[in-house]
Amino acid sequence: MDSNNNTRIYSVSELNSLIRQDLESSFSNIWLEGEVSNFFFHNSRHMYFDLKDEESKVRVVMFYQNNRKLPFDIEEGLHIQVNGYVSVYEKRGEYQIIALDARPVGRGALIMAFEQLKEKLSRKGFFDSSIKKKIPMLPGKIGVATSIGGAVLKDIVSVLRKRFPNFHLIVRNVNVGGMTSAPDLCQALEDLCSYGVDVIIIARGGGSLEDLWGFNSEELACSIYKCGIPVISAVGHETDFTISDFVADLRAATPSVAAENVILDKNQVTGDIKGITGVMLERILHKVHTSRKHVKTLIDRRYFNRPLTVLGNRYQDVNMAYRDLVDSTSAIISNNRHREMRTAYRLVPDRIQTRINTYRLIIKNSSTRWMTRASDRMDSRKMKIDHIIESLEKNNPVNIIKRGFAVIYDTEKKENITSIDSVSIGDRIGVQLKDGHIKASVLEIIKKVIKVR
Amino acid sequence: MKIEELSFEQALEKLEEVVKELEDEGISLEDSMQRFEQGIKLSSHCLKKLNEAEQKIEQLTRSEEGRLVTKELEVDTES
Repeated sequence: MDSNNNTRIYSVSELNSLIRQDLESSFSNIWLEGEVSNFFFHNSRHMYFDLKDEESKVRVVMFYQNNRKLPFDIEEGLHIQVNGYVSVYEKRGEYQIIALDARPVGRGALIMAFEQLKEKLSRKGFFDSSIKKKIPMLPGKIGVATSIGGAVLKDIVSVLRKRFPNFHLIVRNVNVGGMTSAPDLCQALEDLCSYGVDVIIIARGGGSLEDLWGFNSEELACSIYKCGIPVISAVGHETDFTISDFVADLRAATPSVAAENVILDKNQVTGDIKGITGVMLERILHKVHTSRKHVKTLIDRRYFNRPLTVLGNRYQDVNMAYRDLVDSTSAIISNNRHREMRTAYRLVPDRIQTRINTYRLIIKNSSTRWMTRASDRMDSRKMKIDHIIESLEKNNPVNIIKRGFAVIYDTEKKENITSIDSVSIGDRIGVQLKDGHIKASVLEIIKKVIKVR
Repeated sequence: MKIEELSFEQALEKLEEVVKELEDEGISLEDSMQRFEQGIKLSSHCLKKLNEAEQKIEQLTRSEEGRLVTKELEVDTES
């Protein structure tokens, strides 16, 4: 036997170590698919199982720090894909896969994984309605995480343009397809949060369960759960439910529905506010009308007859204000018919305000005013009386006589004589002076008219 | 809080309160005038809020230094 001194002799452990290093660098990051068999869950909570296909099998180890994050339970017979690297268990010289991540394959497996994660998050309180944030009615900035080239964004924008034309949208492009979209979706949520939006829609169109899988990840669920901003989840069609739908503050059946829920309908709400303004006007007119009636009732009471004018003035004030209000209202209403709604709206409050201010002033002043008027009237009456008394004083015949005039009278008839026609020569007459009477007889009658200017 | 500082939701909520108060038969004329005045201010504030912004669609990306930046984005909904 040739003894070749150049031949390298390995020790067993040396070989195993070298092969391990070789394999680990050659297969440092692979995905491997197969069916689980010989599953063993060790007390240390590390997982040991084989992955097999029709022909062969390979040993897989998944350590606790990796398997604790799994959104589903690995069990016998399950079809899965594992991500990891190839290594060697040097003690036995067996090669094995060190699995870092795993995901179920096939619809059945996905549904199972979905149900398991849903159950887990539900227990953790991720879906509690008490933690759901309210979607603002009028968000200043709307964030959307979706694929920028897809129909989804078009659907959303199209609904928003009809619903609220002056919206502000911040779009974060995300590749929302396939099993691996979760990390980017999480990053998108984070980006939109740090940029600062008022509400976030995460959306994608319909697809297979695998297509929507990113929205079923625990990672995304946690991001939505922790997000300080309200999130609307709009994934797939009406019948598609994802984990993100359950965690989100609102689930929208489709992206279009999300757009309908993310902001109010401008026309409708404008109409509502117009309606409310109308109701208020109606109420205030009713109130003024009632007050007017009330004043009128007071006037109608008989025992208020005396201050009727005073109350009547107040009634008139209220009445005028009422008519004023009605006039301005109908002016506003006819304005509304002819102008663009927005313009009319800008005008209405100002116009009403002016009227209202006038009205308020009238009501406020009317009480003071009617009192002033009453007292004015009293004053003028007093003046009139003073004047009459004065004039009476002046014309009192006693005073006239006092000033040296006399009253001549017929002593028989006891009537005043005011004309020469009432006497004849020789008649006996009386003359009244301030201190007594003179009896006299008529000697001569001379006609002479006293001219009065 | 001043009416001008209220959010749309707050203003709308207050407006509904005002209407409820106005519908109370027992309210005095003076009080109802006051409520009405407030209501008109609130509704005009709401309408102002509705017309505040202009349509804007932006894309959020990161600059080379990694800062979040936005650029205008066109979305054609006609075709």
